[in-house]
Amino acid sequence: MGKTILEVKDFSFTYNQAINKVLDHVNFRVDRGSFFCIIGANGSGKSTLCNSLVGLIPHYFSGEMEGGIRVDGMDVRKSSIGELSQKIGLVFQNPFNQLSYTAGTVAEELAYGLGNRGVPGKVMQEKIEHMAQLMRIDDVLSKNPTELSGGQVQRVALGSVFILDPEILVLDECTTQLDPLGAEEIFEIVKKINGSGVTVIVVDHDMERVASYADEVLVLSGGRAVKIGSPRSVFTDPELEQYGVNPPEYVKISDMLRKKGYTNRETAITEDQSIQMVKEALKG
Amino acid sequence: MEMSNDFVPKNTIIEKMNPNTKLLAIISLGISTLIFPNPALGLGVLIFLFVVSCIAKIQKTFLKVVLGFGIPITVMLLFIQGLYSPKNKTIIADLGFAQMGLEGVLYALKIVVTLLVFLGAFLLMNKTTHISNLVAALTDLGLPNKAGYLVLATLNVVPQMQKRMSVIRQSQEARGVETQGGLFNRIKAYIPLLGPVILSSLIDMQERGMTLETRGFGINGVRRTTYVKATRSPMDKPLNVILILFLLIVLILTLLMKFGIL
Amino acid sequence: MKVEIKDLSYVYPSQDCALRGVSLVMEGTTPVAIVGQNGAGKTTLVKHLNGLLRPTSGQVLIDGVDINTHTTAQWSRKVGYVFQNPDDQLFLESVRKEFEFGPKHMGMRKEEIGERVEYVSNLVGLADQLDTHPFDLTSTQKRFCTIGIIMMMNPDLILFDEPTCGQDAQGIRRLRKIIQELRNQGKLCITISHDMRFVAENFKRIIVMKKGEAILDDDIEKVFARTETLKQCFITPPPITRVAQGADLKKTPFTGKAFMEAFEEERERRICQM
Repeated sequence: MGKTILEVKDFSFTYNQAINKVLDHVNFRVDRGSFFCIIGANGSGKSTLCNSLVGLIPHYFSGEMEGGIRVDGMDVRKSSIGELSQKIGLVFQNPFNQLSYTAGTVAEELAYGLGNRGVPGKVMQEKIEHMAQLMRIDDVLSKNPTELSGGQVQRVALGSVFILDPEILVLDECTTQLDPLGAEEIFEIVKKINGSGVTVIVVDHDMERVASYADEVLVLSGGRAVKIGSPRSVFTDPELEQYGVNPPEYVKISDMLRKKGYTNRETAITEDQSIQMVKEALKG
Repeated sequence: MEMSNDFVPKNTIIEKMNPNTKLLAIISLGISTLIFPNPALGLGVLIFLFVVSCIAKIQKTFLKVVLGFGIPITVMLLFIQGLYSPKNKTIIADLGFAQMGLEGVLYALKIVVTLLVFLGAFLLMNKTTHISNLVAALTDLGLPNKAGYLVLATLNVVPQMQKRMSVIRQSQEARGVETQGGLFNRIKAYIPLLGPVILSSLIDMQERGMTLETRGFGINGVRRTTYVKATRSPMDKPLNVILILFLLIVLILTLLMKFGIL
Repeated sequence: MKVEIKDLSYVYPSQDCALRGVSLVMEGTTPVAIVGQNGAGKTTLVKHLNGLLRPTSGQVLIDGVDINTHTTAQWSRKVGYVFQNPDDQLFLESVRKEFEFGPKHMGMRKEEIGERVEYVSNLVGLADQLDTHPFDLTSTQKRFCTIGIIMMMNPDLILFDEPTCGQDAQGIRRLRKIIQELRNQGKLCITISHDMRFVAENFKRIIVMKKGEAILDDDIEKVFARTETLKQCFITPPPITRVAQGADLKKTPFTGKAFMEAFEEERERRICQM
């Protein structure tokens, strides 16, 4: 088992009938077991990149593709989406379109992917019960998924991918319909899954959240990978705002405190670090 | 609304039957009625279906749909075929402006009973089978994933589309489009609905496809499993035999009649 | 503009009770944010303000007129509602046609429509896209297009349902500009949002909903000081506020400037004590 689980090499993609490259010579690696975040303005190519990682590009969306992606040794170009789905799972934004529409109940929705793999009924039952508890949807297991609210469906969508035990989870803005604590809760679950060795790749607009969860951050701008590194190195980069990304508010607090001479510590990028910094600065 | 899958459990023996038996019944009874030259058989099947609907405790819905659809279409077809069919030879009634022919009437009745048998049998299957049960049964048959998906998604998508239509209608109202009031207003209001409904359905379909694919829709060489086990009843086996025999007998009888042996 | 909600309750046909006796008055031009957990009744409440839903009991008055006296289409001249999903609201073949549709319907003069198209398209950042098919816009642009079509009708009250959903930094800056502009023009703007940073930066008055009731309705400082109540509603204050609370600052700031003031005040207080 190598250290790198996913490698994107000189990858470019142009959709059919489009003129511009959506992704333009993108290069990066993701370490096994890491929490990897992708940020960037709208239209920077984040979703296209996610779709490429799971093989939807080039197998589902056609276009011109250069370079390559390897997922745990598998070449995305040569593997089918079905084969890739045993390694890598994707959850995207609109939860209602992530229902299989073949399920009469939430329990069956969770079971769909397992059924495609031929998982026997008893194992299925156990997995569904466990996942329903984890995602706090055990009270709606026998309901029709189309009758649920957006927030609930988002939990169902996440659960039905988590349940497949992928080695890599790709989450493309999948908490937009949840209230703040609900989203926080999902991130805590993802962190837990990540802690059990699953590699997590997350696209999110909430920079405070990215700063507190990510091991590594990739910044996309106009289809190019313009920056990659630790959250600290990315969020303290003065050029960040050029790429259409605001750093976390905590960076602002650090800057203000430093400017007025209240602290000389390195920039805080998470809530805890900030509180620590402010408390120390208060002591004078 | 009557045809959508709003299954309500009534705990009857019809519910406990395997969905595939019901599918076979639709095929066997429907095709028999279709090929048999005389509408009498279809009429008999319809009476049988009505009895089944009583056992399934849905006779009210059954009558409502079958008569609601049957009466107008019978009147219409009797009028067209009975009065103007080129096959008409035997005149059974003279209306003055036109004459009613026996051949046309029989033909019209045959079309009507065939349609009603298919409709009625499908209605019975749909109203007595939870969609999950149907999925399980189809999977047991080893039906290809794509074919199964087509059937089920169609049944399941209807309520979702209705929900969507109502959201879109609301958002049009919020833009000043009057959707209430007279018939003209309501028809006018439907035109701006079409665009977003079609466009958003296209986007939905694309994304839904993505979902299925990334959850292993295309995995080959695996015997698929389902969460819900299809219901089974001791009646399934004998019924299957009877249904197949019935179709065979009707087929033979029809052929014999065609060749003038009977 | 004055919106009065009197003891409003709403029960869905499925018998789910979504609103339980909400009473609120919203007046003037101060933008109002409505926050709360998924399923708390925010959208249900807002849908009563242009008659998309009608009270099961209680009353809604817009400038003193009972909501039940007109259809939603009639209210649309006075109350604009921007839906959460832009795809639901667009149906014409170009942005310009989308923009002109409402005003034409209302019988607005041609010159005025032209002027408004120019003004609104600049404000929502679609001046160069007027001849584009809405389907070819990005999801962000689509959202601004729906904001544009509602602004075109020049209503006195504008309702936004989750406008920041999926927006990047630039989109959020543009929304801020639009909300300010609406205020300058004397409009009242009511916004549902999960994004507390956006709420803190743009709204002075916050209504917190929980299980069909408006449990808090106050100035932003006072609302974000009630951390325990907020937690029960699945709301967390914005980052700056949380840092201030974590470090036990006495005030509840929600902008950088206010944070520094609160910090310096606390620092001085401590120095004096020593």
